[in-house]
Amino acid sequence: MKKIILLLSIVFAFSGCEKDDICDANTPTTPRLVIECYEFGAISPIKKSLTKLKAIGLGMTDGVIFNSTATDENKYLSNDNKIMLPLRTTSNISEETTSYNLILNSGVVGSENIDVINVKYIQNTLFVSRACGYKTLFNLTNTTTDFLVPDSNNWIKVIQIVKSNLENENEIHVKIYF
Amino acid sequence: MKMKSMLKYTFSLLFVLGSFFGQAQIVKAKDSTTIKKDSIKPKTERYGLRLGVDLFKLSRTFYEKEYRGIELVGDFKLTRKHYLAAEIGNENKTVIDDHLNFTTKGTYLKIGFDYNAYENWSGMHNMIYVGMRYGISSFSQTLNSYSIYNPNPYFGESPTIIDGTKYEGLSAQWIEVIAGIKVEVINNLYVGFSVRLNNLISNNKPDGFDNLYIPGFNRTYGGNFGAGFNYTISYFVPIFKTTLKPKEKKEEKKK
Repeated sequence: MKKIILLLSIVFAFSGCEKDDICDANTPTTPRLVIECYEFGAISPIKKSLTKLKAIGLGMTDGVIFNSTATDENKYLSNDNKIMLPLRTTSNISEETTSYNLILNSGVVGSENIDVINVKYIQNTLFVSRACGYKTLFNLTNTTTDFLVPDSNNWIKVIQIVKSNLENENEIHVKIYF
Repeated sequence: MKMKSMLKYTFSLLFVLGSFFGQAQIVKAKDSTTIKKDSIKPKTERYGLRLGVDLFKLSRTFYEKEYRGIELVGDFKLTRKHYLAAEIGNENKTVIDDHLNFTTKGTYLKIGFDYNAYENWSGMHNMIYVGMRYGISSFSQTLNSYSIYNPNPYFGESPTIIDGTKYEGLSAQWIEVIAGIKVEVINNLYVGFSVRLNNLISNNKPDGFDNLYIPGFNRTYGGNFGAGFNYTISYFVPIFKTTLKPKEKKEEKKK
């Protein structure tokens, strides 16, 4: 009898547990494009805060959420001197482009100004870990002249690509002067 | 859900251990009756090969679609306390995670010794043991599909990418520390359970991927640590006998 119980309990014990893997938020995965803003024409570089900047990706209806705690329209607006823009990840191995409408003074009648930027890059896929899978790193292929689309009234005056290989979000990739 | 299966697992583990405990008492009771007969004849010690199979891997092969595996186990009594022990196995495991889907295939060999801490009466080979193994595995990994992890899916989640890259010629070596038990249930037929803590000493990883599962070692975590267990059923094949010098004086003192 004891032996039967023993064998039964062995069979019973086969039912086990399974995974508990979640990708840690602090793990550097696919980075966003980090843009820092500076005062145009200053002798020494001075950081300058944006005013009600809204960024809408080409083909998207909503803006990038800069302020997730805010409600309504305010969550799409940035008044910071640094913004991070997600780039489109595709399986395209050659050059890919993500375009953004950067709207300064969004919603302010009369002073709204839209500038279009084209971010061109080559994607590299890299293994991270079991929980996170793979990430995409970007290599910017822009020249300083094809980043900003010129129009009659650009609010962005100068663009400077500081770091063309995007590895994480703790670095500055592009500086804009306005 | 997770909590529930954890509870279930813990309970069933306790249940198994509990039944072993009960088993051990029966064995003792039997022995105390046989010793009276034995005190007349000289004691003999049987030596032989115990061969078996891991029931856990075998049963998983049937109930888990993503797993196929077999492990043969064997031990040979060298001295009264020491056993030469080995496991040889083959595994084919597909892991389906949120961001990864890969298949690991390979063969492994573990060789080492067991030290039996259980005081058997003559002729019996029950074991409560600790042991060590050196493990080596040769395997391949196929990355079936993956997805790009993007914490800011503004343009939508990236689709799963079908890959199919096969990383071949991978290998790993490790050391296992074992604690286990083997109990005779019917004549010469043993059931056993062992838990194993593994530590990688070498791990030949592919470029652009990682050895997330190693046959014999099981899944890998961030570092070198790993764990495993087996449930075995094995048969003792007696090969030769030796006569033991009786230690009657000692036994009398005990009484």
